[in-house]
Amino acid sequence: MSVAAISNPLASSWRRIPGAWRQPVTIAGLVIAAFWLVIALAAPLIAPADPLAQGAALYQAPSAAHLMGTDELGRDVFSRVLWGARISIPLAMLLVALAFTIGGTLGGLAGYLGGWVDELVMRAADFVFAVPTILLAMAVVAALGPGLFHAVLAVVLVSWPGHARVVRGLVRTTMQSEYVAVGRLLGSPTHRALVVDVLPNVAGPVIVLAALEIGNAILLLSALSFLGLGARPPTAEWGSMVSTGAQHFEAWWIGVFPGIAIVSVVLAFNLLGDSLRDAFDPKAIIKARGA
Amino acid sequence: MAFVLTHLVPGDPAVANLGDRASSDPVAVKLYREHFGLDKPLPVQYVVYLGNLLHGDLGESEQSRRPVLTDLAEYIPATAELAITSIVLACLLGLTLGVIAALNRNNVIDQIIRVVSLGGMSTPQFWLALVALYLFFYKLSWVPGSGRLDAAVLPPPHLTGLFTIDSLAAGQYDVFVNAVQHLILPACVLAAFNMGLFTRFTRSAVLEVLENDYVRTARAKGLPERTVVFRHILRAASPPILTVVGLAFGNVMTGTVLIENIFSWPGIGQYSYRSATALDLPAIVGVMLFVAIVYILVNMVVDILYGVVDPRIRVA
Repeated sequence: MSVAAISNPLASSWRRIPGAWRQPVTIAGLVIAAFWLVIALAAPLIAPADPLAQGAALYQAPSAAHLMGTDELGRDVFSRVLWGARISIPLAMLLVALAFTIGGTLGGLAGYLGGWVDELVMRAADFVFAVPTILLAMAVVAALGPGLFHAVLAVVLVSWPGHARVVRGLVRTTMQSEYVAVGRLLGSPTHRALVVDVLPNVAGPVIVLAALEIGNAILLLSALSFLGLGARPPTAEWGSMVSTGAQHFEAWWIGVFPGIAIVSVVLAFNLLGDSLRDAFDPKAIIKARGA
Repeated sequence: MAFVLTHLVPGDPAVANLGDRASSDPVAVKLYREHFGLDKPLPVQYVVYLGNLLHGDLGESEQSRRPVLTDLAEYIPATAELAITSIVLACLLGLTLGVIAALNRNNVIDQIIRVVSLGGMSTPQFWLALVALYLFFYKLSWVPGSGRLDAAVLPPPHLTGLFTIDSLAAGQYDVFVNAVQHLILPACVLAAFNMGLFTRFTRSAVLEVLENDYVRTARAKGLPERTVVFRHILRAASPPILTVVGLAFGNVMTGTVLIENIFSWPGIGQYSYRSATALDLPAIVGVMLFVAIVYILVNMVVDILYGVVDPRIRVA
């Protein structure tokens, strides 16, 4: 197996990760992402109030009692923002996992089998790429009916081609590389080549893509909720909270704080993905992604 | 393909457009289906649609009850004005920041620009639009809040449909100023994402060029830094940047859906939102077709520009 280790450019990039982790920007991303993960897990313990409880006075500006003020129904915005993490972050992770499972499988098959399978999968992917994501997602949600679950399905539908392209590209280049040929000459069956040689090479770029996609998924999900196609009131979801804020302009805190939450989470995942991309071979990913 | 996909979704347009009461009345549903040809099998619908398409007929919007083409013609100029302005803004900012970042590789300035550009790509546009509106419209009253012109201002005579150009052509400078005031905020908000994108691609494209010998030679010759950056570096780095600018039109379309809804901008974005939520299939397919055409045209222009900036491609 030493042959594979020497001629495999991505294996060495695993060792480069520690350097990338030392950059301040990366650390910031890591800290913010970890911070939000903790909040998502512990929101019920940290949040001072029930996110749906309408006990307090309406439209209170941020104060010591209500760190982010109260909204048009007297709910504590701070608690709602904390609880919002429990919706956006797990859903984004779930849908990236779904999109990867679907896209990765299709892309892997397309790259490995080639021929008409390849043609079919890639034309379908091209189609999804050609239509603006939100337009397609809106049409799907409108057809299925508004709701968080349908919004997630819509985002999966528009985001699988990204994964398919990356995996297909990586599978194809790896299949052509010399160490796979060497493996074949040594008499190992093809499926072994897939598991031993191809899989480790695909893993790195896929992790990068996943980090970047989680950010995009949160953005798109919250945009759909903002348009009234995702989470419905009274759910404490960030996008729909911003939408509420849009209707109560004078009470800026209703919409501004959930927005800051979105920005910080998405930025954190983007910073992470970006640093990881620097650590791995950056070109392989950019090229495979086609953008 | 767009046609098949929009018909595969399981919603029933008759129910969506007729409202609850009418859709429980079988006669109304039947009449509605017959009017739009929805009672025929799907392949027949498709052939009819293609046949009409050949005559430039995109069908009738199930919502506005007007030909989709008329609707599109009305809304496209508003979106075009917004989209083009925002792309120009994003290009100016993104290219500048990208070059500065590359020239300051890995130092503090580069890191700051990196966070700014990633920030632009991480900020939800609908939220940015609200914050901008709150600050510059509600608090500071620097700009008007919504629409393309003040209610009291009449649109300039129709020439291109772009109010800024039309008003200049007609010599109505007050209308021009008003149109620009309305345009500036949504265009800036819309530019944020692409600004980030352009910055990042410019940076990496310039970094690749920087290592070339001819850049060192140019510097060694004592050419002023400005000449080196513009003539030697930017020109060589432009093909990948052009590609991204072409792709950015897709992002702008996504952005306009949100931005136009917030700023009451009467364009394709608002139209597509209304059509999608009403399951107005002819309108949705019409918008998708239009976007696809723009996409192809933009990429054609990009291909032609490759030849302009890189003579090697022209020869090949």
